[in-house]
Amino acid sequence: MLNVEHLSKTFPGGKGIFDVSFSVKQGEVFGFLGPNGAGKSTTIRHIMGFMKPDKGTVTINGLDTWRDQGKVQALVGYLPGEIAFFDGMTGKSFLDFMGRMQGVKDLSKRNHLIDLLQFDVNTPIRKMSKGMKQKVGIVAAFMHEPQVIILDEPTSGLDPLMQKVFIEIVLAEKERGTTFLMSSHSFPEIERTCDRAAIIKDGVIIAVKNIHELQSMQRKLFEVTFEQEAEMQAFVNTSGLQTETSAASPDGGGYRVRVAVQGNYDRFVAETAKYRVRNIDIFTQNLEDIFMNYYDRKGIVQ
Amino acid sequence: MNAILFRQMMKVHMKTFMNYAFGSAFYILLIFWLYPSIGKNVDAIDVLVDAMPEGVGRAFGLSGFGTAEAFISGEYYGLILILLLAIVCVQLSTQLVAKLVDQGSMAYLLSTPTTRAKVALTQALVLVTGLFLIMGVTTLAGFAGNAWFLAGDYEFNTSRFIEMNVGAFLLFFAVGGIAFLVSSLSNDEKKALGISGFITFGFFSLDLVGKFSDKTEWMRSFSIFSLYQPGEIINGNVNLGLSFTILAVIGLVSFGLAVLLFRKRDLPL
Repeated sequence: MLNVEHLSKTFPGGKGIFDVSFSVKQGEVFGFLGPNGAGKSTTIRHIMGFMKPDKGTVTINGLDTWRDQGKVQALVGYLPGEIAFFDGMTGKSFLDFMGRMQGVKDLSKRNHLIDLLQFDVNTPIRKMSKGMKQKVGIVAAFMHEPQVIILDEPTSGLDPLMQKVFIEIVLAEKERGTTFLMSSHSFPEIERTCDRAAIIKDGVIIAVKNIHELQSMQRKLFEVTFEQEAEMQAFVNTSGLQTETSAASPDGGGYRVRVAVQGNYDRFVAETAKYRVRNIDIFTQNLEDIFMNYYDRKGIVQ
Repeated sequence: MNAILFRQMMKVHMKTFMNYAFGSAFYILLIFWLYPSIGKNVDAIDVLVDAMPEGVGRAFGLSGFGTAEAFISGEYYGLILILLLAIVCVQLSTQLVAKLVDQGSMAYLLSTPTTRAKVALTQALVLVTGLFLIMGVTTLAGFAGNAWFLAGDYEFNTSRFIEMNVGAFLLFFAVGGIAFLVSSLSNDEKKALGISGFITFGFFSLDLVGKFSDKTEWMRSFSIFSLYQPGEIINGNVNLGLSFTILAVIGLVSFGLAVLLFRKRDLPL
């Protein structure tokens, strides 16, 4: 459905994307993961036909997104990463205008989405919060029932409850056979919806894997607090897990150890269960840390 | 051209157009209203103008108050209307393309089933329509003023007056084209505004300074504003066909290039 082939674009200064290739099948939700500045948005700009590739092509349903402007967009819904609307419009007048541009006759889909996302369409856009603008953008990307939906950082600005609603909307569309490409710099966001994901770094795709493989590859950092120092020491010495004792602060805080877990959850649970544990916390990490091993390994290969 | 986009953009910018159009109409009516009191004292005023340094009179078109249209050409078409339309061209052309690219809202337009060429052409048409509206209302106000305040008591050459208006429209068709071209090539709204403002008012200044004396006359040949001389149109001693054609060609080529280059370039959306 969506084919990116050997896409290359070099910007003055040497940054850019280099030989990016992947394809998304019909009805698949494809994640596009990478830290800020890795080339996600540049790739999406090529997919949307906003930029001309130096080399390579992007096709959607066989149509070249650069050359077949005017035809491709009928198949595509797009949520830009940075939401900017026209001046002096309300949510409703913007959606009306976009609907006419997209040639939407039937408003039931739009009204349904507005219901789900729960926002007041009559608010002037300049008075909207970031989350509310994001909702308007989501409705605009979905309301004409496109075959392919491209979402650039879709859940930024949405509260956790709305993120959940959003995921439900995506999954319902997926049921209908809609194809998705979703970019993100956060793995958990991708994990809940995507079938497969590509990881991009410095403009190069370093992996295209299904989500289960990625889940087993990811490295999670737990902070375990033990009741007693001796038990903590025993855990560190015998568990065989990758550990790191943080500055010991026995004054009421207990004895903390950071444990890096990558796939071996069984072992982690079994080893910690041997001792009296006061608390377990999960560390939120950035993408490079989650896939640290992967990034490093690739780094050496190159 | 995209009719839905055109309607939307006209709706957004109509207020601006109408403000300028009615401002212009009001001013021209004011000048018509003033003319009878001056028309009776033409000789005295000519003496006054003659007393000024020669360059000043020429620069601001203060020559020959013998007829109503000559008075109007000097008082309005020579300076104020030019400044007003120059501002409209620079501001609006920037808002129509560069601003949308800078803000990112262009991404929404281009994600709908239309082409860039159509979007650019539609935006160009909005600009031209705006100029046409402002000039149209101004022209009509001129006729109204003639009927209302002069009522046949004073000379008024209708065809020369129309020529003067057509000339103004064509001049700003060309100026607007150049500003629109700059806007289509810019990713930054402020930069677009700065560059097109510099070009437009640069041309304007070259023409103005060129008119001050014979020594600076050469500067005028670098300015497209020298192709529009309302005073000369009224006197009837200028080859309108040539200057009007050049202006129209400059406008068409600029708008054409703008559409073509906008279609081909990378957009940071």
